[in-house]
Amino acid sequence: MAEESLAIGTDEWVAAHEGRTSGQVQGPVARTFGRLPWWVWGSIAVLVAVVLPLIGSTYLMRVGVNLGLFLMLALGLNLVVGYAGLLDIGYVAFYGLGAYGFAMLASDKFGVHLPTVVAVPVVVAAVSIFGLVLGLAARRLLGDYLAIVTLFFGQMFVEFALSGDAITVPGRAEQVDLTGGTNGITDVDRFSFLGVEFSSDRWYYYLLVVLVVLLALAVRRLDGSRIGRAWKAVGQDPLAAEAMTMPVNRLKIMAFVVGAGIAGLAGTVFAAVQRGVFPSSFDLPLLILLYAAVILGGSGSLKGALIGAALLSLLPEALREPSYSEMVFVLLLVAGLALAVRSWRDRIIVVVATVVFGFVMNLLFTLLHVQGVPASAWTSGPVSTLLGHWLFVPQDRVLWGNLGFVGLVVLLAVLTLVGTRVRPILLPAIVWLSIFVWFVRLADVPSITRQLLIGALLIVLMIVRPQGLFGRRQVEVL
Amino acid sequence: MELFVQQLVNGLTLGGVYALIALGYTLIYGVLQLLNFAHGEVYMVGAFTGFFVMVGLGGPGKPIVPVWLMIVAMFLAAMVVSGLLGVGIERFAYRPLRESTRIAPLISALGVSLFLQNAVLLLFGSRVRSYDTPRYWSGAGPQVAGVQVNPVRILVLVLAIILMVGLTRLVEKTAFGRGMRAVAYDRDAAVMMGIDVNKVIVLVFFVASALAGAAGVMVGLVFFNVNNYMGFLAGLKGFTAAVVGGIGSIPGAMLGGLLIGLIESFTTAYVSANFASVLSFLVLILVMLLKPRGLLGTRAIVKV
Amino acid sequence: MRAQPEPAGAALSDGPPGPLTPLLQLSGINTFYGPVHILEDVNLVVGKGELVCLLGGNACGKSTTLKTALGLVAPRTGTVTFDGVDVTSRPTSERVRRGMAVVPENRRLFAPMTVLENLQIGAWVRGAPDPADLDRVFELFPLLEQRSAQIAGTLSGGEQQMVAMGRALMSRPSLMLMDEPSMGLSPRLVEQSFELIETLHRDGVSMLIVEQNANMALSIADRGYVLQTGRIVLRGSAQELSNHDELRRAYLGR
Ligand SMILES: Nc1ncnc2c1ncn2[C@@H]1O[C@H](COP(=O)(O)OP(=O)(O)OP(=O)(O)O)[C@@H](O)[C@H]1O
Ligand SMILES: [Mg+2]
Repeated sequence: MAEESLAIGTDEWVAAHEGRTSGQVQGPVARTFGRLPWWVWGSIAVLVAVVLPLIGSTYLMRVGVNLGLFLMLALGLNLVVGYAGLLDIGYVAFYGLGAYGFAMLASDKFGVHLPTVVAVPVVVAAVSIFGLVLGLAARRLLGDYLAIVTLFFGQMFVEFALSGDAITVPGRAEQVDLTGGTNGITDVDRFSFLGVEFSSDRWYYYLLVVLVVLLALAVRRLDGSRIGRAWKAVGQDPLAAEAMTMPVNRLKIMAFVVGAGIAGLAGTVFAAVQRGVFPSSFDLPLLILLYAAVILGGSGSLKGALIGAALLSLLPEALREPSYSEMVFVLLLVAGLALAVRSWRDRIIVVVATVVFGFVMNLLFTLLHVQGVPASAWTSGPVSTLLGHWLFVPQDRVLWGNLGFVGLVVLLAVLTLVGTRVRPILLPAIVWLSIFVWFVRLADVPSITRQLLIGALLIVLMIVRPQGLFGRRQVEVL
Repeated sequence: MELFVQQLVNGLTLGGVYALIALGYTLIYGVLQLLNFAHGEVYMVGAFTGFFVMVGLGGPGKPIVPVWLMIVAMFLAAMVVSGLLGVGIERFAYRPLRESTRIAPLISALGVSLFLQNAVLLLFGSRVRSYDTPRYWSGAGPQVAGVQVNPVRILVLVLAIILMVGLTRLVEKTAFGRGMRAVAYDRDAAVMMGIDVNKVIVLVFFVASALAGAAGVMVGLVFFNVNNYMGFLAGLKGFTAAVVGGIGSIPGAMLGGLLIGLIESFTTAYVSANFASVLSFLVLILVMLLKPRGLLGTRAIVKV
Repeated sequence: MRAQPEPAGAALSDGPPGPLTPLLQLSGINTFYGPVHILEDVNLVVGKGELVCLLGGNACGKSTTLKTALGLVAPRTGTVTFDGVDVTSRPTSERVRRGMAVVPENRRLFAPMTVLENLQIGAWVRGAPDPADLDRVFELFPLLEQRSAQIAGTLSGGEQQMVAMGRALMSRPSLMLMDEPSMGLSPRLVEQSFELIETLHRDGVSMLIVEQNANMALSIADRGYVLQTGRIVLRGSAQELSNHDELRRAYLGR
């Protein structure tokens, strides 16, 4: 943005706006986190990131690369949503465009093999231009309009990628294949700079560490700069900003374009590290996961975006391994219980009641002659061995697990409706049922479970703490 | 010419379905200024409900009741289940957020969407289920301009029209409709008149969701296959229809639905199936640029 | 007005005259908007059949008092009693069903709907609208019958005021809460609407009227309260208030 286009008086207003919002309450997590200066945390994180490959396995490198990509995307989305307050539901499409763009310019698909130093800037520029066009199309970018246009744009991208392998061009007999359809584009070139080829994940990992650090530093700088403050002001109160003759639309479109460019850049890395691109990588689940990350951390907060993204990117990895997933589950359960019941006496009562409830249910299953299997037969890990004597595991785990799931959802819904008096009575049943459903059903289907948890997380987070872990209570986001 | 008539009928049927979904978006937006992104999932659950009722009654193989009764039961059950689901969504995911930021219910809606898609996947698996309508209903349809028209499509079209007329009457002629319009126009003033706004909102969600449920059964009857991801795209189309017609406007939703349905069916027939969605998207952008309030809309989409 | 605010309000004479039973009673009301303390320990009574006016400068909390009575905002402490029932935690819809009705500030008609529909919405809490109610409103406002199919937003200010009052009457209230019924009306129309208020009052509807036009209000009221920055600083019979020196200087311009 050209500095001189800022009208006189704008700066004072931006500063005043800052003053109005910054004095507000920070979350408890933010306070704990804030005890040490940011660069201490930052250095620790970077140090860990740099040292990790020395001890890490190939698997760990893969996780690291995914984390890096996710962090980049989260930082970009945080600019768009958290700073400028734009609800961009098509964000992932820019990631996809970047990936497909690079794949088209550097693979056997069209026999084009542009060098990385040319291909990447070209693609990033092209994706940014896409962002610009889309931003201009939703002209005033006000509230729900943008959501609609971008939602559609995201879907169109996936559809185009899916069916772009058989495009009928008027005046030509044979159909044109642009995207490879469901098969995507494979054999994408690796990155190579100055004759050095990025031959393993480790290279990309370090590249991403550098990119994320640079981006994070840039965002930090932005936080204190005129344009950063202006963005935040526009995001929080566009009308007031407009009244102060800030070029609201230009600021917003710019945020939108920068976000698109970052996603495009991440996309090129993704294409190169995967050595292939497929439509399903850029669909709604990724988008929702990204939103969950940015919002969990607290939109508009740098460390919030980083930590939220790290949590949500690593959580699925934890769910993949049965013994880890058990641990995650137990932690979630304990944390949930600790939050739901405030006094130690009640906590003990609930735990004891849950144990008793479990034995009663065990008895009930036996009396009803439900076929069961020993618990030790279907999973390992210390926790489940202990639980084996207490938790009845029916033979037909799908049926009973599903019934339990429905029951659990209903009970949780009821829990929010009843008064505090009745809650302790419901809790043991809920705790038992969660354990039952988890071991009997959910632990078997980690990908579904993950999505269910993220969906539930988004709803609960919006209700309990819409500003996220590190966010400040905002005036108004849209 | 034959192709044209065929596509016209197809387009109208599809349009009727989109219109029903669009009406749900419009009703809810009109009353709450909320884009209910989870609406597509409500429609998907309606389609599943219809399917299971059919299976429960012995279909598609050997229905234990007359076929017409089975179809009536499918529609009724789907409308009730979807309606209740909509009410539940409002109660648990939107109501706590009514005084929150504008973005919060949108995010919450995304969460609901994801949750429902995966809950259905968990409960019923990813197996494709088919209504397989021809196995219990294979009459010859009427001739229109020399073209044999599938009777199922006629049923769907007629039913969609009946539902739309019914809804229009409900909104314009009944006390509930008046209350609904009052809440939509000025919620606080409606409260002052003693209107229980929550009750009105619950009813609006029920009606909107029941329409989506009916649309789900219609799609099942016409296109057979149902799965847990079907809601997203249909929701998007219905939503486009609502915006093109002018969100908040009931005749707008109907017009938008028919328009999108016709565009899709004619593009598929004369250009390419690949471009059907892209073209609706272009129409959406075009309408938003030229007539930001939609074709028949009177209100701006965001109250500022 | 320089009167030192006193929590209970300086009483010129004590409360409603003996035989009246209280219809609406606000006791010890403290209302906040966020952190801002708007009403401080407000005590106010409207007896059955009384016409009470609430006077005060801009932004002193008059509308907030009505909103608290109607349940549109919840007081942090204090109780609202209506017709012998504690309605403090009851929703507005129930209060309206019990007999409160409001003519809100700026009227707040449902502009895109017809006059008739506006009136019918007024009868919402009565379930099936009673034709007799409509007839009574049309009798009071013959003009509205002619205009019943007109879109409310296109009416003139004076006509809109009639619709707002008619709409409130449709629920057959025992207590009408009126927020600045004279706002934006020509002197002639102000007079007319005050005549109407008197008529309604004579028909047995109790009234709590918020007014800037203190002269007019006191001329028809039985009693009055004066609110200043959220506190009741004066109360007494209309007679006493019109003769009160400081009040005269501050509001009555005499
Ligand atoms: N919803 C609200 N949120 C925050 N503050 C409010 C709200 N409504 C009113 N206020 C504030 O409360 C104070 C009292 O408002 P109120 O409307 O009761 O005044 P009033 O006496 O009716 O004034 P007027 O004569 O101008 O109508 C004002 O300062 C106003 O700004
Ligand atoms: Mg006022």
